[in-house]
Amino acid sequence: MDYIISILTFSGITLVGVLGAYLVTGLTGLFSFGQAAFLAVGAYSSAVLVTNYGVSFPVAVVIAMLLGLIAGLIVGVPTVRLRRDYISLVTFGFGEAIIAILNNSANLTGGAMGLSGIPQYTTFPVVLISVAVCLTIVVSYKYSKYGRQCLALRSDELAAKSMGINVNRLKLTTFLLASVITSYAGVLFAFYTSYVEPGAFGWVVSAEWLIIVFVGGINSLTGTVISALLLTSLPELLRFASEWRIFIYCAIVLVIINYRPTGIFGEYEFSWRSLKRIAARGGKAV
Amino acid sequence: MLIIQQLINGISLGSVYALIAVGFALVFNILKFSNFSHGGLMTLTAYMGYMGALFFMPYIGSIPLFCATILTAAAAGGITAIGVERLAFRRLRRNNSPLIYYFISSITMGILMENLVTIFASSNFYSYPKFFQSSVITVVGLNIAVSDFLMLFFSSAALGLLLWVLYRTKIGLAIRALSFDVNTASLMGMDSNRVVLATFIASGVLGGISGVFLGINYTLYPQLGQLIVKGFVASVIGGLGSISGAMIGAVLLGVVEVFLISFVGAGLAPAFVFIIMLAFLLVRPRGIAGVIVQEKA
Amino acid sequence: MSRLDVTNISKTFGGVRAVDNLSFSVDASSIVGIIGPNGAGKTTVFNLVTGVYEADSGQILLNGRDLRGLPQHEITRSGVARTFQNIRLFKGLSVLENVMTAADPHSTYNILDVLTLSRRKRQREKQVKELSRDFLNIVGLSHLENEKPENLPYGLQRKLEIARALATNPKVLLLDEPAAGLNPSEVRDFIDLVQRLHSDYKFSILVIEHRMEVIMTLCSHIYVLTFGKLLASGTPSEIQNNKEVLEAYIGEEDASCCI
Repeated sequence: MDYIISILTFSGITLVGVLGAYLVTGLTGLFSFGQAAFLAVGAYSSAVLVTNYGVSFPVAVVIAMLLGLIAGLIVGVPTVRLRRDYISLVTFGFGEAIIAILNNSANLTGGAMGLSGIPQYTTFPVVLISVAVCLTIVVSYKYSKYGRQCLALRSDELAAKSMGINVNRLKLTTFLLASVITSYAGVLFAFYTSYVEPGAFGWVVSAEWLIIVFVGGINSLTGTVISALLLTSLPELLRFASEWRIFIYCAIVLVIINYRPTGIFGEYEFSWRSLKRIAARGGKAV
Repeated sequence: MLIIQQLINGISLGSVYALIAVGFALVFNILKFSNFSHGGLMTLTAYMGYMGALFFMPYIGSIPLFCATILTAAAAGGITAIGVERLAFRRLRRNNSPLIYYFISSITMGILMENLVTIFASSNFYSYPKFFQSSVITVVGLNIAVSDFLMLFFSSAALGLLLWVLYRTKIGLAIRALSFDVNTASLMGMDSNRVVLATFIASGVLGGISGVFLGINYTLYPQLGQLIVKGFVASVIGGLGSISGAMIGAVLLGVVEVFLISFVGAGLAPAFVFIIMLAFLLVRPRGIAGVIVQEKA
Repeated sequence: MSRLDVTNISKTFGGVRAVDNLSFSVDASSIVGIIGPNGAGKTTVFNLVTGVYEADSGQILLNGRDLRGLPQHEITRSGVARTFQNIRLFKGLSVLENVMTAADPHSTYNILDVLTLSRRKRQREKQVKELSRDFLNIVGLSHLENEKPENLPYGLQRKLEIARALATNPKVLLLDEPAAGLNPSEVRDFIDLVQRLHSDYKFSILVIEHRMEVIMTLCSHIYVLTFGKLLASGTPSEIQNNKEVLEAYIGEEDASCCI
């Protein structure tokens, strides 16, 4: 039971981070390859504040999210102006730069050895509530002028501009929201694993999140959620395969991408309305 | 004097980066996406080159061994590239999938290849055998490492060969045609499958050679492919969509990096490279030789 | 009101002078046509007015305000809307959402409203939905509001583009070959729609078309372009009898052909 709870907790933390990737890549079509960097910003800043400076946890969380916002501005402002192709490279570079800085600030962050002894404040209930809140925010964002305009600019940026959409500002707003949410995920992460080291925030993590979004289906938030839960637990389920498990994981993803490119869930989106409809129909059958 | 020394080191390093950048740019030109599996391919072929070196070592030594290693890696690279194209990209092309899926497929493929290396070679570090008796030659008071010299030589040769193929052969013409518009080219009777395959093979060969060079420079470890980021940065600076731009960008990157390392140390160099790249993009978003494609309404 | 005055605009691409010192104007609440052979620069003119390209020189005045150099979205928000020659609808959004997206820039709620699920947001969302439904109703697409735009037949896609342009609350509506690909009955339907919109909303309309039926029926004034330059300008009957226009389109009369 404990084992399942721990998998669910970790999946939940990953999901919060993935929601950031969903906003930037799924909704807006920006291929950001460095989202994990915000995870690092959130994790390290909160960890350092609490362990080195004795700041209280709630305050540290807020500061971490603010730092995430600032980092998002630094990367976002130049990035949103770039051609689509460059965004992946620039965000990738940002991610690697953050890791390099973290590796080289041994006195503050413990360098490559990492920071340990972080108190474990992240419990399953905390994660559950965090997921619920973040999911609500993302759903609210998707079904708002922001979400619609993001989808529009993802589909056809020129036409979007012609309909009066301020494309650059919208990209930046989405990017900033994602960076704040991801930083928060970083806080959850640090205070769950009790130990952070720069290598845990590399581009592979960003890649994994993108894979999750795509396997679930970029047009489906429901798909992203379920895919996050599935794919996070998959390596655990594949434990029996030991050293081959990443290989098998990649193989599965490749198969899905190639044979069902719209993702497992395609365009499907869960909605309360459809649930009510099913319930009503079920009632009639009786 | 020291500056010239650094410059030469930088150019030599840049030539290796050029191999990476061009291998990357070839695929980008035709399929219009960043092939993130290139790093994994480089790692895989670097190890295969190593196995080739071990195989030939009892029979030949020094320069012939060096050449044999390179050839093994190049061949391995070409063959692996065929596999990558077949497995990761062919179906996507057939289904006319949007660009984003190619990214995902390439990333996954890259992780898969890196993981293959980890499974078979574990996380130990390996080094290439010492190819040369004296490791440094002295010319006009400047020291050039023999390996650096040979890398510069072979990189230039490989790139020269590539340019010859691109501009003087039929398949090269086809590759260039397809990089303008895949659909029109196939309507004109070019077999896009064959041409794409040829491009991947060329990309793989270059990747294989660069893998060996990186392995010599940095020793062999499974994450070697992460140095692909140098190729990315070089391509961006040089201008996505331009082979010559990628070469120029790479050499520039090599030189800048060598000087940066002497100032801020190898640890922080990536951060500075990133800042320089950002600044460059802000000033000249299309890169040195890149092409702006203006969208028509 | 809705006056568009374009004075001496030019645009050169590489060595090609696509638009050459062109001037024209659209009076308030009028329908004006732009015609000319292919390659005359008509769509380029639209692109210059809407800010897709910046004109090298000249002035583009909307009610006296110069639009030249403004970013596209600002030009649209000033009141210039357009449809596209090659339909550019938003895939991934439903028919209704396509229209809502064009009305969204006018919504004033902010990100905090989204984060707190405020009443302001919910009310405005409802409003935008109703508004967009009205626009769909006007063009006759109400029954298809949840469809995917790419599943609609061509003629209906064109109507959706118009509904979407309407949602931006335009003062001037630019229609780029709106009747292309329509069969004769669809064309008549379309002409009716434009006349209805014009009398209901009173905005100005600038139309590029090759279908003379559309131009001659709708427009009070016509500009003829060729090779980026203005060839002729006048009322429909004046243009129909203009020798130069006929030559540009059909060619010179060759006496040896007459029997």
